[in-house]
Amino acid sequence: MTFCLSGFRSFPKLWKTSPYLELGPVTSSVPFFLTVYCVTRNQQRWFSVKPTSPPDSKAMNLLVAKARTLKKRNDSNKQISSDPHYFAAGAAKKRSHVTKNPQDSGHALPPVRSTIQLPTRPLNSKEWDKLKEDFEGKANFEDLVISQMAQSCSCVDVAKSLLAWVAGKNNGIVGYNLLVKYLYLCVSHGQTSEVIDVYEIMKARYKSLESGAYTLLIRGLSHSDRWREALLLLEDMKKVMTPSRKNYDDCIQGALLHQDVTVAWSLYQELVGHSLIPLLDTLKAFFDFGKDIADDHYSSNLLDILLYLRTNQLYPGESFAHSIKAWFESIPGRQWKGQFTTIQKSGQCSGCGRTIESIHLSPEEYEFLKEKIMRNVIDGGDQYKKTTPQELKRFESFVNSRPPFDIVIDGLNVAKMFPKGRESQILLAVVSQLAQQNLRLLVLGRKHMLRPSSQWRKDEMEQVQKQAHCFFADNISQDDPFLLYATLNSGNHCKFITKDLLRDHKACLPDARTQRLFFKWQQGHQLAIVKGFLRSKLTFQHILSYDTVVQTTGDSWHIPYDEDLVQRYSYEVPTKWLCLQRTQAPAPC
Amino acid sequence: MNVTVCFLRPFARLLVPFLFHRKRRVSHSTILQRYMSSKVPSLSCHNKDSTSPPEQLELDGWKTTMKSSIHEDAVSVVSDKDEDSLAATRELIEMWRLLSKDVPEHITEEELKTLVECTSKSAKRKYLKYLYLKEKAKEAKQIKKAMKAEARKARLVEMPAGGQQDFMFLRLWELRKNSALGWKGVQAMQFGQPLVFDMAYDNYMKPSELQNTVSQLLESEGWNRKSVDPFHIYFCNLKIDSAYHRALVKRYGEKWDKLLITATEKSPIDVFPKDKIIYLTADSPNVMTTFKHDKMYVIGSFVDKNMQTGTSLAKAKRLNLATERLPLDKYLQWDIGNKNLTLDQMIRILLCMKNTGSWEEALKFVPKRKHSGYLEISQHPQDILRKLKKTKTLSSFPKGSLNARTWKK
Repeated sequence: MTFCLSGFRSFPKLWKTSPYLELGPVTSSVPFFLTVYCVTRNQQRWFSVKPTSPPDSKAMNLLVAKARTLKKRNDSNKQISSDPHYFAAGAAKKRSHVTKNPQDSGHALPPVRSTIQLPTRPLNSKEWDKLKEDFEGKANFEDLVISQMAQSCSCVDVAKSLLAWVAGKNNGIVGYNLLVKYLYLCVSHGQTSEVIDVYEIMKARYKSLESGAYTLLIRGLSHSDRWREALLLLEDMKKVMTPSRKNYDDCIQGALLHQDVTVAWSLYQELVGHSLIPLLDTLKAFFDFGKDIADDHYSSNLLDILLYLRTNQLYPGESFAHSIKAWFESIPGRQWKGQFTTIQKSGQCSGCGRTIESIHLSPEEYEFLKEKIMRNVIDGGDQYKKTTPQELKRFESFVNSRPPFDIVIDGLNVAKMFPKGRESQILLAVVSQLAQQNLRLLVLGRKHMLRPSSQWRKDEMEQVQKQAHCFFADNISQDDPFLLYATLNSGNHCKFITKDLLRDHKACLPDARTQRLFFKWQQGHQLAIVKGFLRSKLTFQHILSYDTVVQTTGDSWHIPYDEDLVQRYSYEVPTKWLCLQRTQAPAPC
Repeated sequence: MNVTVCFLRPFARLLVPFLFHRKRRVSHSTILQRYMSSKVPSLSCHNKDSTSPPEQLELDGWKTTMKSSIHEDAVSVVSDKDEDSLAATRELIEMWRLLSKDVPEHITEEELKTLVECTSKSAKRKYLKYLYLKEKAKEAKQIKKAMKAEARKARLVEMPAGGQQDFMFLRLWELRKNSALGWKGVQAMQFGQPLVFDMAYDNYMKPSELQNTVSQLLESEGWNRKSVDPFHIYFCNLKIDSAYHRALVKRYGEKWDKLLITATEKSPIDVFPKDKIIYLTADSPNVMTTFKHDKMYVIGSFVDKNMQTGTSLAKAKRLNLATERLPLDKYLQWDIGNKNLTLDQMIRILLCMKNTGSWEEALKFVPKRKHSGYLEISQHPQDILRKLKKTKTLSSFPKGSLNARTWKK
């Protein structure tokens, strides 16, 4: 029994300690983990009350064994599928898919609520009366019915018959909540005439509306002939709060649909002025519309949008990329040619062979980032939070008294990478392999590493100190800020080794621009060790040499974009590119 | 009858819009009458012939009446054409109420101003929800109060007019209790062990957090007063006329000056010898093993909803003080929630430790939702052995006091 239970206990551990399992070819892995999850959920209660019966323990053992073989298989597979680089889109998902899956599906069950069999055809009032009598529940019947209709996108006529019934009972008055939900149905079915009717009613009955109804009306009206009234509604909204970017999107789409370019651009300016980030659909709409008009002003505005994408490090989606390509190719006389490609490791576009912008920061940016890291990440207004002033001084004099390093190693992160090995042994292995390449190393750690223990052997630590410079911070200080500063201080060639994604330190930086600079620098300088090095040579995840950002050289554009089927985390960058180039010089006229 | 109605029905349907367009001044009720009269027969007709297409249902009639009520409604509201954002916000709240969102029914001018000053939409929504819940709680309380008053009335009627009885005491229990507690408090002021609340965190907190802190302080003081052997409480770093001081004075009222605690503007290191102070913080690397009766424990009076981890540890580091944290992980199977406990929980744990010295007893005050039971000591053999080597106090782990819900491995 104890064995079975310890096996059971090891399950969460198994998920935790193996986030590096790659998505193997075994498609059954997901349902398998699902079952384990269900079992553990059930067993948890069970175990706490009384001992398990033998069949259960057998089942658990089986599952444990199965999990182990699965893990092994995945281990052997991971050599084959290697990521392009550490920050590539979807890489984190791969790294963590095992830990994520069970949780997601376990809690995804919707809460059980009382439901009604919704009618499929309009009912008359007697039928509604009967339905209401049959209904048992605390909720307001009309409200519940129309909410469910809105959820299941029922036919508009059915909802209308409900409203007629309510009005008949209630002196011809229909409540605002029913009206809004009815409006939602009309808008989602695209029934413009109904939308206009409801709009008239609302205008008549209420002096002002609230954001939900405004949003629906704007969405409904922007496609009709009365789209200018949507703009008035937008003005009404602004009195109380900033309209959402979806509201602006609807208005802009409406304006473009009715060929009013000036209004669309001024709305766009307003949207950006509120420091809202426009929906990519909005930007796409501008490009889609641009195909039909040949206007220099319009095209320069579109190029401004591309530069906006560049400064804010936004990446278009797949369909948006297609729109951009189509627009470029539609420009008369310029002969743009677009293709979807990838970038080679050397930083050259596979399509045209041009070199993509380097990942390295400019000297000014570099100085700026260094200062910001020092001030916000290490100091942070209170030096005692992450370190102490004495230690900071000791560290600064340590760094300044030595020539620049080539590689800075996060000792604890590296040492704890393989739970099976001894920590000092792993650290020594990494350090000596790097030292053989004649690199100047700095190992950052904490003081407890020097105290001999089962994990930290004295002789191995002495060897580490022989081969590398070492700095040991206090046990309660944070070592990552020192890592960042030491790397930045050594110059552009210096890299650092850690598997940490450093998101918490990025979050300490004051504004989005600095955070983007930090991320750019991190992409170019972080080395992450590929698993399985204990058995073979030390290898790192591939480092990007180019910057993934919208860029131009005048007669060429390179635009990274997100594929529809790949889920990208915020700290990852897309891998697919749109390469646009002019096939020939503009024709001499 | 039925025949005539059926015959009239198509005409009635035609008549309604027609009437409406021609005679706009026609009153709401007449339209309604006509509308209803046109509707009812159509439905009865439909019942007979259920296969008839849905077009036969009167679906758009309600729109007419909805639109026709323009005049009464519009006239009343259009008059105050006030473009003020305050008024607009008020209207927005009204409309949200119609949608039964979580917004309060009544809102004062002051609250409205706070609402308009909220920078983001989510901040507005949160504030409105807060007001809504406050209003709800108040309502519920009032209803309960009214019910209680009624019940009391009923009881008074039932009670028989009592004759003369012999009593030893007059019923002045509350008074007696308070004066006895007061005596004990004075004793504690003279000879009690100091317990310090460090009030230097007011600029790390938002107003709402500060209010929570003050509530927790009040409760802590109450628990301390009722204890068998109270601490001598110090409020250190309490600046006169700071937000803290004002809030405390406001909550205590005139009782503030008669409170049996020491409030000082000085820092704990000025009041006590430095080596005797232990700063309690959940971020500390050192675990508290026993309660020491000769030390001054310092608790930061700081409600941190913003996750500013390490603030109090940084403070202790700056002053070079010893720090400790409660041995929560050693005794409890921790589930959820952070390890920061509220101030009143802290003082109850410390009081219990002071009076009994048993961690199992003291950690009863940790909220049950945060852990799933007490740990068996034998569960971490290596851990315990290491601890034993260090502290050499076997007696501090009483065996046999195992919780029934202990997690067995």
